[in-house]
Amino acid sequence: MKYETVIGLEVHVELATKSKIFCSCSAEFGGEQNDHVCPACAGMPGMLPIVNKKVVDLGMTAGMMLNCDINRVTTFDKKSYYYPDLPNAYQTTQWFSPICVNGRVDIETSNGPKSIRIKQIHMEEDAGKLVHDDWSDTTLVDFNRTSVPLIEIVSQPDISSAEEAIAYLERLRDLLRFAKVSDCRWEQGSMRCDVNLSIRPEGSDVLGVRTEMKNMNSLSAITRAIKYEVARHTRALETGSEELVQETRRWDDNEGKSYAMRNKETAGDYRYFPDPNVMPVVIDDEWFDRIEKSLPELPEVKRAKYIDELGLSEYDADILADSRALCDVFDAAYAVCGNAKETANWIITECMQVLNKKKMTADMLAINGTSLGQLIKLVMEDKVSRPNAKRILASLFDKDIADVEEFAKQSGFIVSNDTSFIENIVKEVIAGDPKSVADFKGGKEKALMALFGKCMKQLKGNANPQVLREILIAEINKI
Amino acid sequence: MDIKTLERLQKLNQLNLTEEETDTLLGFFETAEKDAEILSTVNTENVERMVYVMPMTNIIREDIAKKLFTRDQLQEQAPEAMDGYWQVPRTVD
Repeated sequence: MKYETVIGLEVHVELATKSKIFCSCSAEFGGEQNDHVCPACAGMPGMLPIVNKKVVDLGMTAGMMLNCDINRVTTFDKKSYYYPDLPNAYQTTQWFSPICVNGRVDIETSNGPKSIRIKQIHMEEDAGKLVHDDWSDTTLVDFNRTSVPLIEIVSQPDISSAEEAIAYLERLRDLLRFAKVSDCRWEQGSMRCDVNLSIRPEGSDVLGVRTEMKNMNSLSAITRAIKYEVARHTRALETGSEELVQETRRWDDNEGKSYAMRNKETAGDYRYFPDPNVMPVVIDDEWFDRIEKSLPELPEVKRAKYIDELGLSEYDADILADSRALCDVFDAAYAVCGNAKETANWIITECMQVLNKKKMTADMLAINGTSLGQLIKLVMEDKVSRPNAKRILASLFDKDIADVEEFAKQSGFIVSNDTSFIENIVKEVIAGDPKSVADFKGGKEKALMALFGKCMKQLKGNANPQVLREILIAEINKI
Repeated sequence: MDIKTLERLQKLNQLNLTEEETDTLLGFFETAEKDAEILSTVNTENVERMVYVMPMTNIIREDIAKKLFTRDQLQEQAPEAMDGYWQVPRTVD
């Protein structure tokens, strides 16, 4: 018998906020244990949660990027869950009226385009971290991550293979990063995925027994886990090797196997009930419109625009359109200097080099694009040499420079147009290196480069190379 | 509320009740259920469910991170703490 796979994904994404969802503690990743904690997120009695407005902004943004309907009145609920990583013994989440419902993500598969429906997106708090200490035989609790804001994106069971799951997750990641909802870093846990999977005879409309694998944190592990589970379910149905039960399973990526964890609690077990401490959030037209207007163009729209309208190569456009930060800097710089190819080169080559040195990713590019545009313009107008422009670029990473030409002047980086000044330097260099002069006259072309280098050094790079070369040859010919 | 449901709730809430506590709770639930039955006779048709006592919405704040307490202050009252962590009985699911 032929079987078909039915997969639904629940994706947790940590939101790009400075503070936690219900208190003002830092939401930054890492830090000393329990350094980002206050009485509210430590679950102390009497503390009241206050919703972070940015969380609602980003929840709405995610919903709009994923073609969802936005619930204009959205509320929070308590999900009972007794475990030490949640100090309140419940998670504040959304059950009855989540912020977004009924969305859609379009993906490309080897069988053509496909839409994956989104059931809902809800906002909630993350749990803390537990460290099991064998020496004291106790569990140590770190609440730094407790109450860090998350959205959970719940898909309908429309995915039918590992390939489709990966295409969906990659598209989700692209859209959310582009809209600055999250940095979506699997390795830091800011994007995590629960895989719900079952199989059924091809063509059947009855769902099979579903198993869930929680907290998957890499695309390769998700691929392997799905393939393993499909094979296990198929074997169980075909040979009766085991009885399939609805359960949560842990995926061990080293062993390449999944293990049963516990019987899946049903929704009733979580005993959801409205949280009377968190007042409803009402999204009025003004708020809704503000978020709608802030949505970025989709990455593929940017890419097409860069190729079709600005004449960039596919290679350049692919790199730029992969990161909202690169696009923002590119757009602002191009608006000032008007040369798309030159701007792309400066970002892809020079800026990326600085980012690599700082061990930063493209998404972290935070220089002022307008200033970069001014700098590129100065280079194009031969007012600043390329080596000196690179020095100015390094400064742009450290501080906001509103007037780059003024900064270049103050730093002594403006190319001299004073030919008599250049001539004097050239004469000095020639007088000090008669051997190179003689070598050049004797036909050794390289000797000219040595003299050229010495002149440029004395001029601190502030000379038009062509002008300098012409003056140098003219002065040598006079000898 | 029967003993089976109570046992299930015990498990979900990681409680370990004595026989005496179980009997007391069953008695309590019996009374509570009777009270609920009386309440359920009230006609609530067209009455919206009340969750929030105060008619307030949008109690929200700007996204500004602040550090208001030190770890030591917070752990002053912790029953057990170690190396900056809260310490609890070994818990592995």
